[in-house]
Amino acid sequence: MDLKGSIPDLWKAIYNTGDLHHCFNCSTCISGCPASFGDPPLLVRNLARKVILGLEEELLNDDTPWACVSCSKCEEMCPMDVKPFEMILSIRQWQSANDETRVPPSIVEIYKRGYTQAVGVNTELRDSLGLPELMTITKNPEQLQMFREMLMKTPVVSANDYMFGG
Amino acid sequence: MELCLFLGCNTPAIRPDVERAIRASMPVLGIDLVDADNYVCCPAFGAFPSTDTDSWLATSGWNLSIAEQKGCDIVVQCGSCYSSLRMGREHIMHHPDKKDRVNELLEPTGRRVEGTSKVRHVSEVLYKEIGPETIAGQIKKSLKGMNGVVQYPCHTLFPSEVVGFEDSARAPKGMRQLVEALGANVNSYSRELQCCGGAGGFMKSTPEQAIEFAKSKFDAILAETQTDFIAVSCITCLMHMENVQNTLNKRVGEERYKIPVFDYNQLLALCLGFEAKQVASITNVSRDSVLSRIA
Amino acid sequence: MAEKKPTGTVLVAGAGISGIKAAIELAEVGYKVLLTDASTQIGGILAKLDYQFPTDHCGMCRMLPMVGREYSSQYCMRKSLFHENIEIMPFAEIQAVHGDAGNYKVDLLKRARYVDPLLCNELEECIAVCPVEVADEFNHGLTKRKAIYQAIPHNTPKLLAIDKQACTNCGECVKVCTPGAINLGAQDEMVTREVQSIILASGVKLYNTTEFEDAKSYAVSPDVVSSLAFERMMSSSGSYRDGEIKRPSDGQPAKNIAWIQCMGSRNRRQKRDYCSSICCMFALKEAVLAKEKGGPGVESTIFYMDMRTFGKGFQQYRDDAVEKHGVNLIRCRVQGVMRNPDGSLQIRYFDPETNEFVIKDYDLVVLSTGQIPYETHKKWADLLNVKLDSRGLLATEDYSKIRLAGKPGLFICGSLMGLTDVSEAMSSGIAAAGEATKFLTGIGADTVKEEEIAEPTAHERELSLVSVAICKCGEKTGANGIDYELLSAELQRYRGVGEVNVIDSMCKENGETAALDILSKTKCNRLLIGACQPFMYRQNLKNVARKAGFNSSLVEVFDLFGIARKGMTLPSNKEWTLRAAHEVKADIEKLKFKPALHVSTLPINQTALVVGGGIGGMQSALSLAARGVPVHLVEKDGQLGGYLGNNVEATVDGLAPMAMAKDMQLKVYQNKNITVHLNCEAEGTVGTLGSFESKLVYKDSDEKIYLHHGAAIMATGGHEGATSEYGLGSSNLIMTQGQLKKGLASGDIDVGGAENIVMIQCVGSRQKEGRHYCSRICCMWAIANALKIKEKNPDARVFILYRDVMTYGFYEQYYSKARTAGIIFMNYSLDNKPQMEMVEGKPVVKFMDSILNEEIELPADLLVLSTGVDPEESNSKLAKAFKVALNDDGFFAEADSKWRPIEFQQVGLYLAGTAHSPMPLKSVIMQAEAAAQKAYAYLSGREVHTSSVISKVKDALCIRCQRCVNICPYGARSYDDMEKCINVDPAACQACGMCAVECQNNAAEVTGWSDKQLLSVIDAKLMDELLLSPVE
Repeated sequence: MDLKGSIPDLWKAIYNTGDLHHCFNCSTCISGCPASFGDPPLLVRNLARKVILGLEEELLNDDTPWACVSCSKCEEMCPMDVKPFEMILSIRQWQSANDETRVPPSIVEIYKRGYTQAVGVNTELRDSLGLPELMTITKNPEQLQMFREMLMKTPVVSANDYMFGG
Repeated sequence: MELCLFLGCNTPAIRPDVERAIRASMPVLGIDLVDADNYVCCPAFGAFPSTDTDSWLATSGWNLSIAEQKGCDIVVQCGSCYSSLRMGREHIMHHPDKKDRVNELLEPTGRRVEGTSKVRHVSEVLYKEIGPETIAGQIKKSLKGMNGVVQYPCHTLFPSEVVGFEDSARAPKGMRQLVEALGANVNSYSRELQCCGGAGGFMKSTPEQAIEFAKSKFDAILAETQTDFIAVSCITCLMHMENVQNTLNKRVGEERYKIPVFDYNQLLALCLGFEAKQVASITNVSRDSVLSRIA
Repeated sequence: MAEKKPTGTVLVAGAGISGIKAAIELAEVGYKVLLTDASTQIGGILAKLDYQFPTDHCGMCRMLPMVGREYSSQYCMRKSLFHENIEIMPFAEIQAVHGDAGNYKVDLLKRARYVDPLLCNELEECIAVCPVEVADEFNHGLTKRKAIYQAIPHNTPKLLAIDKQACTNCGECVKVCTPGAINLGAQDEMVTREVQSIILASGVKLYNTTEFEDAKSYAVSPDVVSSLAFERMMSSSGSYRDGEIKRPSDGQPAKNIAWIQCMGSRNRRQKRDYCSSICCMFALKEAVLAKEKGGPGVESTIFYMDMRTFGKGFQQYRDDAVEKHGVNLIRCRVQGVMRNPDGSLQIRYFDPETNEFVIKDYDLVVLSTGQIPYETHKKWADLLNVKLDSRGLLATEDYSKIRLAGKPGLFICGSLMGLTDVSEAMSSGIAAAGEATKFLTGIGADTVKEEEIAEPTAHERELSLVSVAICKCGEKTGANGIDYELLSAELQRYRGVGEVNVIDSMCKENGETAALDILSKTKCNRLLIGACQPFMYRQNLKNVARKAGFNSSLVEVFDLFGIARKGMTLPSNKEWTLRAAHEVKADIEKLKFKPALHVSTLPINQTALVVGGGIGGMQSALSLAARGVPVHLVEKDGQLGGYLGNNVEATVDGLAPMAMAKDMQLKVYQNKNITVHLNCEAEGTVGTLGSFESKLVYKDSDEKIYLHHGAAIMATGGHEGATSEYGLGSSNLIMTQGQLKKGLASGDIDVGGAENIVMIQCVGSRQKEGRHYCSRICCMWAIANALKIKEKNPDARVFILYRDVMTYGFYEQYYSKARTAGIIFMNYSLDNKPQMEMVEGKPVVKFMDSILNEEIELPADLLVLSTGVDPEESNSKLAKAFKVALNDDGFFAEADSKWRPIEFQQVGLYLAGTAHSPMPLKSVIMQAEAAAQKAYAYLSGREVHTSSVISKVKDALCIRCQRCVNICPYGARSYDDMEKCINVDPAACQACGMCAVECQNNAAEVTGWSDKQLLSVIDAKLMDELLLSPVE
């Protein structure tokens, strides 16, 4: 691997906190991580190393941040308080911002109806359980419009507005 | 005490019987629930938190502002919703610049976040606010004679200073005491604190390994305990721990994995005398062995 | 000045080993010491350790004085400490300190023990009847104890106490205590003492596996123990039995054992961003011991982050642990331990060797729990009204680890400075005693004047006649039923006994007077005293005897009480009184044939020689000169200052060696007591014991002078090492850390345009070929330089390729600082060293990144090599001249790596600083102070008192085989090539008797232990057995 193409300041674009550089590669984050059982494994300490070294290409192509189960055990156990889970979210954000194929489809669902699932439409089932009708945003066009307009001002939606056209 | 019920997506859409259980038992225990009208996705970690801070926190802020307008704390059952809302709130409260930005985005919607409403997990309300002793005193039926194991939702443990309410996130006690309050005997086992593995992209990206990971947990439960059921307190744990048992059975070619899984609120509602038909009817692992013994 | 000066008294707060060492050093100079400890006993952490690196034995007694043994009690240090000038006050807490430097009033709360040690007969009947059982904290709960107990099982005297928290006040113990030593209603007592100076040696609290949150993920079973608890599992006074390490949960043998390092240390999240310094060596030692003592099939595995083997001999120990003992070292910090259903403990780790996850089961997991300094420091700061530094630690003066900032007369030592190993605890204890001595000298406090008692010679050569004095210990032995009349009568009849006197309480003043009165009228020339606890009262009793006219070598004290106790099993008073009498007869025999021995005294020349004019040497010289000792400071170069003082402007911890050296130089030249010899080397030395004559040769003129001196300190320092690796010298882009440091300071090296700067650590170090040691300072140097580069050019990327980052202790903060400044640390292993290739005039470094498991190629604008510290070549010449030893690496070999770090075997010769091993500046200064104190203590004695009991050579029988020379552990025996005979250095000899055992020809003998004596003792014993056996 040649570091010639690496970007020394990449970490500022990805995870610009005072925490990242405390990492001393101790491996605590990976030794009990559920997603480290995967294939390829999620190796959080390797991600930290790649961010610090500024390996842009490798990081853009790395799928493992998306395997994280968000259990945050690494966050709890990291002796250097790198906040590895937040780092993973930051890497995902950076990937999404730089590669539109990374943008999770679920945000389109949320934009469209407020939720990742079809909430509040199973009225029959709900009735049978004795549940009240839900005042969901999906049923409230005025509120939903406000919500969408708000999202339209955020980077991911404004930069990829074509996805949200429908 | 009044709390604003934040249901999230999965519970009302896929497991409304859990919602029913919460709506049934909370008032009995002195908690009045008000609905979070027009709430939106918490947002799930795989959604806006994975794209940018503005959309993440604006969405969190939208939800938080609903509770603030009602003047009460939020109560959540789903682990992911709980963790996402608490982390979102943490960011908003500890970074004035982020708070300003969120309020700037919220302003045209007539909303605002000040941080007056806290985010609470339903198990925390039961454990800390109501208490296992009160619950034990209120129940009409019990799980007496039955063995259970508990599944702690990771999202209510880690990172402890953001989401935690246990005295020790490394040695939590809440779920155990809550289940014991219903009269069951709680078995310990080696992998009690192992994550169910159901959240995030683990199952999606490497299903083989994720199922193996879950298998190690179920094998430990079967080998080390005499459990009759698993009590969880997170919608993802509930769904994943049921689904994965069916997957595993197909894999091993026999009905080896058939431990009924309940959300704690379901067990609570059952013991308070509510009908299983209403509060514990949706499942793909038969619960009959337990339901028939609740007396 | 007719006015009587006050006797200097120092409070040493904390009776762990550093406090004990400071106390002994002060007591030896002649100051009074009040040694307190908050616990019920003395000994600190070391009381729990049966084995210490590198010998894997105890060796604590080696901190006792080696000369003048007649004047202090020699006793197993783990059991107790006895010294005339030391008052020990355990179970006492300092409540308040009033007054100012030189005049402190200290309020001490003496906690009630409920058992009066002066009345206790140590028969432990109380313990037997006590119905309360609780976990024994000394054994970390591995064993149980009663509510009335002895905190440390091997302590002598026993010092029982009642744990009032556990006690039910049932009173059973009171009923069986015949001497009435137990008072359940005893109260704490407040006492106020006046002292001139205070040394804080309270040590540090250790992280407890049950109390702290982050340990809960690991401490999931009783079979997960702390490293200190593991020590107790290795001890037979703990749970070690049948040659096996027992698993606490079920007593099964533990075969597969894992250590997890940095538990509670190096943890920013828990606000403990420091290293605990000693745990790596501690774990290595335990891992080796487990393999040796755990029976066959034991596997030891250590999970670590950096294996910090920074001290002298540490790297070799690590290499031996791995290569000879097969200890597994795995660089991975694990997230937790899981308890399997069968009780075994599962650990999942990432194996950096294979880049695979491994799941493995262990029988026992040891957590290397570190220090928690802040609480203790805060407590002292509040009590002494001093400020804490920005990290929350007691602030010491610049350059000093010992002197508390802004509080003259107040010093700290030992683990209060940050957890220290034994060697550093010793150095710091001596240095603290040195600082206190300087302070007391400064305020004009006096030392205790030794009572001059001429050693009597009358009657010595007359026929042996033994006077037996039996101390009637009031209630103690009386209550146990010794029949004194019968005992006297029985002894009176024995051949060689002149008289038998029964005297009450000889340990007390009136008993002493009575004894003196009776004994000064005697016709006997030998005296046998029967008393309790001879190790405690021996010195007092011998002094009484001397005053009464006995030669002290002809006085023996025996443990009457011990004999009495042995007799307890016998059915009647009469029978066991007779038994006691027979036991005494053996002592009489030994005394009868004992020759009169005389302590010889040799005058000590009052001049000191300090070899080496670096910062350490100058510090020693100034420290001695300040106390009026004339010092000759010899420097082989043309200027003072040494390597640091002439080359290093700033260190990572903000010290300025060059400025400091300049300042010291000025003081040295201004000091009338110091004579500086530049361009000068000490070449040959003759003489010994307080009177050396050294030949000093001036290199420039070849002029020679002969210097008489009584003591010498080797402070020869060291310099940056050399290497032929990585093209050093072939390009101006490749340089050492020292060259970079100078270049950065002078501006000769411009890093303005640099993109990538690569530093390689451990070049030629920590490997068998080359420097087989860690140079301790290189990591800090690299970090200092890297930070400087970042300061000048924040865009430059600095890569530090390391094997283990050795920022031990509070130096860890600089490692953290470096990382947050963006400096990138990458680990490499010895079997895959970085490679360098010049490409278009630029060094290109290739190395394996162990994290990404990929080879990285990096063109460097500068390649900087950490080439370690080399000892001075002149060391070998000096070693020959002074007949002292060097180690394999060319550093001087101290007398004992743990317990006597700054002395040589040879009396009067000391070492300090890098002459000992590479170390940071503050440690150099501390050692220099300690060496000065040792030299001062020795010189201020004005004469050497050799011991009366030493080994001798019967020249006529000696065949010069020199086996005795080789076996002597103290280097006291030597073969004189000129005279063709064996010589014994009377000051070095400790009368251990090894030579007498080894000698095939009976030519080596320890005086006072002649064959004749011993044979008659045996005869007497056998005779007794015959007499006692039931013949009817």
